Amino acid sequence: MSIITLKNVSKSFGTLSVLKDISIQIPSGQTTAIIGPSGTGKSVMLKLIVGLLHADCGEISCFGTDMARASITELYAVRQRFGMLFQDGALFDSMTVGQNVAFPLVHHHKSMTETQRRQRVEATLELVELPNMYQRHTSDLSGGQRKRVGLARAIVTEPEVVLFDEPNSGLDPITSDAIDALICRMKKMLGITFVIISHDIVGTINVADHIAMLYEGRIVQSAPTDQFVRSEHPIVRAFLERNLVLPNNAGEVATLPSLG
Amino acid sequence: MMAKSDNTVTRSVQTFGDYAYFIADLFTATLRHGVSWRSVIEEAHKIGIRSLPILLIINLFVGSNLTILGFHAFTPLGGQRLVGLFVALAGVRELAPIIAASMVAAKAGTQMASQIAVMRIQEQIDALEVMAVNPHAHLIAPRMLGILLVMPALTLIAIFATVFSGYVVSVYQLGLNGTVYLEFAADGITAMDFVYCVVKAWVFGIIICTLSCWFGFNCKSGPEGVGLATNRAVVSSAVVCVVVNYFISEVLYGSL
Repeated sequence: MSIITLKNVSKSFGTLSVLKDISIQIPSGQTTAIIGPSGTGKSVMLKLIVGLLHADCGEISCFGTDMARASITELYAVRQRFGMLFQDGALFDSMTVGQNVAFPLVHHHKSMTETQRRQRVEATLELVELPNMYQRHTSDLSGGQRKRVGLARAIVTEPEVVLFDEPNSGLDPITSDAIDALICRMKKMLGITFVIISHDIVGTINVADHIAMLYEGRIVQSAPTDQFVRSEHPIVRAFLERNLVLPNNAGEVATLPSLG
Repeated sequence: MMAKSDNTVTRSVQTFGDYAYFIADLFTATLRHGVSWRSVIEEAHKIGIRSLPILLIINLFVGSNLTILGFHAFTPLGGQRLVGLFVALAGVRELAPIIAASMVAAKAGTQMASQIAVMRIQEQIDALEVMAVNPHAHLIAPRMLGILLVMPALTLIAIFATVFSGYVVSVYQLGLNGTVYLEFAADGITAMDFVYCVVKAWVFGIIICTLSCWFGFNCKSGPEGVGLATNRAVVSSAVVCVVVNYFISEVLYGSL
């Protein structure tokens, strides 16, 4: 059963057409990755799903709610079923790690006592392998730690869907692998729906059950991971073999073919 | 040429429309989602503490300057006694409220604009939205109510500083009679002047807060965007406050 559905969705910014007639279904309980080169509209797609942006045309449905026609109350009710990890964590600088993670609980679980909230936050921080960090200030965190705190904040309310916007961006390979391993562990432990936006193909293959590739504003291939990696589509192959920007033997930069 | 001016008009109307829409959003969001009174008190405290020292310094010297100017203007006419009246009329009715507003715009307004702009470019405002927390109610409403709480107090302190420094200069520098200064100053100020000052303070507070937060909210990405938003916030706040001050004074004092 699909939990999120995009049907013939297009989005432009001025004269720049970012998404062109996109249709995709995100199945419940699985990890779906949307990959593609930078600047192909992956983050825009994520923002359309949570209603931060509005599509020019097409339909976006989350948990059966038409996001374009939803009232503010309905929109906020849908968003409470989501958790989202932003590219740089989007942590609140004025708060400690604990306050950041507790933030959605303070606003949406008002019946919780201070002690219950603190226990939940500390348990979630342990889950993302950051124990004893409650009092730490966000300015003292490394890039990888910021991502983990962002992830803790995203899952602390036990949402039904967690969205990841480039979970590996700006991280060194070791930290990047650690984040992938953490996502895999979360996936097994929580059994919820994950949607991952990434251009890191290796990490994505390890984590995702289903992969869709976005290129020049269109989905060129959408398939279960094992089928996706065997795809013969030239753009998918080029991306999988990392031919996008690597120079060939003659020193020329290989480019992907245009969709026309 | 014509097309260019048409574009400018269209852009101006659109900008004004966006600003009006932003204010409408702020009011509806505040009514719908409520506001944390703890945050309001924190914001009021921060705005007051940040603006008070500079406001005191400026108004003490404005009062002193007015006194010296008044003394030299009225002495040839034999009206030294009018110095108190002059300080009261110019300082209390006009200069103290607008200077208080300018200082709040310079200290608290810039801080609001830059903080919100940084939150915008670091996706913290998007994070609030995704967590189903309305950013207008969470970020702007406490600042608005905070500024409305402290602006009247800051304006009254500015008035006191202006009149007090005028008194000190009159008595200790110019050798005038202090009682006469205060009597004439009291003659120039009525209870309604204080009411009008509070009205002005609230209007200026609304202008500073909404413009600063609006520029911060609409910040374009990057450090340059933050700088631009902050700069536009303080310049616009100061200009709009001065223009609006003219109209308020015209309405309140024009028929006197």
